[in-house]
Amino acid sequence: MMDYVDLVFLMMGITAVISVSFTFLAVKTKDLMHAVIFSSVQSIAYALVYFLLMAPDIVLVYVAVSVGIYPLILILVVKRVGRFEVTA
Amino acid sequence: MASLLEWTLVLVGQALITVGVFCDLVASISMLRFPNFYTRLHAATVGSIGGAFVPIVGVALVAAGSEFLGVYRWFLSGASLVIAFVELLLAGAGSHALARATHRSRAAPVQPVIVDQLEEDRGKGEV
Amino acid sequence: MKFLDELAGTSLHASNLIKAIVLRIMGWSLMIDLESWVLTYLTLLMIPYFIAFLLYLVRILKGPTLSDRVLAVDALGYDLAAFMTMLTILVRSPIIIVCSVVLILWIFSLDIYVAKYLEAKELGG
Repeated sequence: MMDYVDLVFLMMGITAVISVSFTFLAVKTKDLMHAVIFSSVQSIAYALVYFLLMAPDIVLVYVAVSVGIYPLILILVVKRVGRFEVTA
Repeated sequence: MASLLEWTLVLVGQALITVGVFCDLVASISMLRFPNFYTRLHAATVGSIGGAFVPIVGVALVAAGSEFLGVYRWFLSGASLVIAFVELLLAGAGSHALARATHRSRAAPVQPVIVDQLEEDRGKGEV
Repeated sequence: MKFLDELAGTSLHASNLIKAIVLRIMGWSLMIDLESWVLTYLTLLMIPYFIAFLLYLVRILKGPTLSDRVLAVDALGYDLAAFMTMLTILVRSPIIIVCSVVLILWIFSLDIYVAKYLEAKELGG
C-alpha cells in the first residue's frame, strides 16, 4: 500500500499557493465580473484544502456561502454600478 | 478474503475510473488548446460527462466491491450513484444556459461559423 | 511453471482447460490483497487529476472573455467533485462524500448567475 499522506500534504501546499495568487488577481483586475470569478476560484481552492484536512462541516458551510451566496450579491451590485472599474 | 464477484466489481470500476481520468486529461489539454468559446464547449462537456460522471459510477462499483470499508460501503455506493445522476442533469443544463446567454449577448465572437440562422431570426424579430 | 505442468497432466479437454483457468484466476485473486490493490490504484490516480486541475487553472487565468472563465470554473468544479468522491474511499471516512454533491449544486448556481447577468444586459431587465 502506497503512503498517500505526503501526496496529500503536497497537494494542500500547491492549492494554498493557488488560492493566494487568485486572491491577488481578484484585487488587481479592473473587470469586476472577472474579479468575482477569481474570488470563487479562491473559495473552491479553500474548499479542497478543508476537504483534505478532513473538515466536511466547514466545507458544507464555506462552499454554500462563498460559491453560492457571495457571488450572487456581488453580481447584483455589479449590475447596479457598472462592470468596469473607473480609475480616477 | 475477497470473492470473485467482489474482484469483478472492483476491476470494472477501475476500468471506468481509468476511462474517466483519460477523458479528464484530454478535456483539460483541449480546453487549453482550442481557439474560441464555442469549441471550448465541447471540451467542457468531455470534462464534465466523461471526466466526472463516468468515474463517479466507477467509484460506486469499487465501493460496492471493497469489503474493507465495512457496512458503510453500501452507503458510499448509493451516494455515489446519486451524485452521478445529479451531475449528469446539471452539467448539460449549466453549459447550455451559459452558451445561450453568450450567444444572445454577443459576449464571444461566433467564430467557426458557416451559417448562423439563430442570429438571422433574431434580426427579423422572430425569436 | 506449476500451471503448465498441471495443464500438461490433464487430458486436453475444453472443460478441463476452462476449469483450470478459472481455478488459477481465483488463486491469483486470493493471493493479491484487495485493499492494498484498490488503495494503491487510487493513490496513483491522484496525480493525473491534479495535473488536469492545473491546466484548467491556466485557462481560467488566460481566458479572454468572461464566458471562457466561467466554463473553465464549471469543468474544474465537476472534476473536483469526482476527485472528492474518489478520495472518500482512500481516507475511509464515508461521511465526507456529502461535500461533493454540495459543490456540484453551488457550481451550477454560479453558472446560472453569470448567464442571468449576460442575458439581462441585453434584455435590459
